[in-house]
Amino acid sequence: MGRRVALVGLGYSKVGRRTGLSPRELTIQCVKAALDDSGLTPADIDGYSTVGGEPLSDAQMLGMQPLSWFSQAMVAPAFSYAAIQSIVAVASGQCETALTTRIIQQQPTGNALLESAGASRSAGVPGDQQFLAPFGGGSPTQWAGMLTRRRMWEYGETEEQYGSHVVAQRSHASLNDDAIFRDPLTIDDYLAARYVAEPVRILDCDYPVDAGSAVIFTTEERARDLKQKAVFVESAALSSISGLDFEHLPDMVRTAPHHCSELLWSRTDLGPGDVDCAQLYDGFSFITFQWLEALGLCAEGEAGAFIAEGNTRLGGSMPVNTDGGACNVGRRHGANFCIEAARQIRGQCGERQVPGAEVSVWTNAVGPFAAAFLLTA
Amino acid sequence: MPRPAPDDLTAFFWEGCNAGKLLIQRCLSCGTYIHQPRPVCSTCLSTDLAPAQVSGDGTVYSFTVAHQAFHPWFSDKLPYVLATIELVEQPNLRLVSNVVDCAPDEVEVDMPVSVVFREIEPGFVAPQFVRASP
Repeated sequence: MGRRVALVGLGYSKVGRRTGLSPRELTIQCVKAALDDSGLTPADIDGYSTVGGEPLSDAQMLGMQPLSWFSQAMVAPAFSYAAIQSIVAVASGQCETALTTRIIQQQPTGNALLESAGASRSAGVPGDQQFLAPFGGGSPTQWAGMLTRRRMWEYGETEEQYGSHVVAQRSHASLNDDAIFRDPLTIDDYLAARYVAEPVRILDCDYPVDAGSAVIFTTEERARDLKQKAVFVESAALSSISGLDFEHLPDMVRTAPHHCSELLWSRTDLGPGDVDCAQLYDGFSFITFQWLEALGLCAEGEAGAFIAEGNTRLGGSMPVNTDGGACNVGRRHGANFCIEAARQIRGQCGERQVPGAEVSVWTNAVGPFAAAFLLTA
Repeated sequence: MPRPAPDDLTAFFWEGCNAGKLLIQRCLSCGTYIHQPRPVCSTCLSTDLAPAQVSGDGTVYSFTVAHQAFHPWFSDKLPYVLATIELVEQPNLRLVSNVVDCAPDEVEVDMPVSVVFREIEPGFVAPQFVRASP
């Protein structure tokens, strides 16, 4: 991959529902937080990768030009796409210190989506969507329902196992001051929660928020001079396995995470047995199940049992989403998995700390596209 | 009702529905069926493509039961079954539709189904799927 890359700064904006903050304001807040965390100044930044920001005007606004690298995408897989741009740019020598952001604004509520869908009823639905919308399709919760159903059918998973996952994540969130949902849940609470697209329940879905998240990557040499314990990118992988329609995935159970994980492990001498904790995308609950299997952290088809036996709780054999995951901290669209993985290796997780954590994997997305990263001390 | 806005590439599908036929784009060079329609065959890169009638037989590859509507037209149709149907003509040839004429909790993965054409709204005929007769 080239030069060894280190993660040296991280930070969030104010995060919440209807914050009233513009994308620029979210950008300013998270970038300042990451600069403070690293001890770097705008003059030190010479690369800028973003999903949701505007790299050239943001760099001007923040006094960061000239830049030797910039990248902007609204493309999946979200924060990780900006992260891998930054990592590859530093590793290759295109730039020295790359700022990476994911700026996201709360997506409309169900009711608002309904209103806007109704308002455009006079226009027909073009393109591929014409084969989905007339049947009542088009919401991600629905492909999540289909993908969850297929793996439950193939593997004999139960709704109680999904409940165990949701309960475990919430128990971690209760230890995280930054989490939005912190009250403990029981499996009965889970089973009483309403279905959105059965078998996906409202508690299986990440929580839309306004959020700015920033991470700074630089060279190993530069990292040694900075105030935080350096965290290294041991391996990184990006994958696309099919077109963008989740409903047309050739295999709804083994998707981009499987291809992505093969790539991830092929680029390091470390293996699944070396991982101390895992921050695995949970846009919908089934995604975490799939990543556990794809990464080889548990056997294929065994994620449900693995979770139900308590392995993914703090104190278990493979703590997962020690910040509570996006279902509890809000849909920061991948950034929280990176930031929590880094904080674990730095030893900054307080009550959520996995003792002696030196290796953490973090992942983003599922289905047609995915990314995965291994961070080490 | 979110109705299709067909173009030159996709119009054949809805015209087929009006005639009670399930038509799927097929590559004339290698025989691969392609859905959703594309201007090129991803298997052999041929642009020699034409609609072909299929049997309408398939199985439920997966499905979800919608309990929340994301378009007002569906608000009074809840709960409904949104399914990905695998057609028998080719592995991985999939179509999204609804499974109808049965209760949602009667639908199962791998259930054999066959196509029916229903006028969902005046002037709009779409494929739907029902449990196949044994």
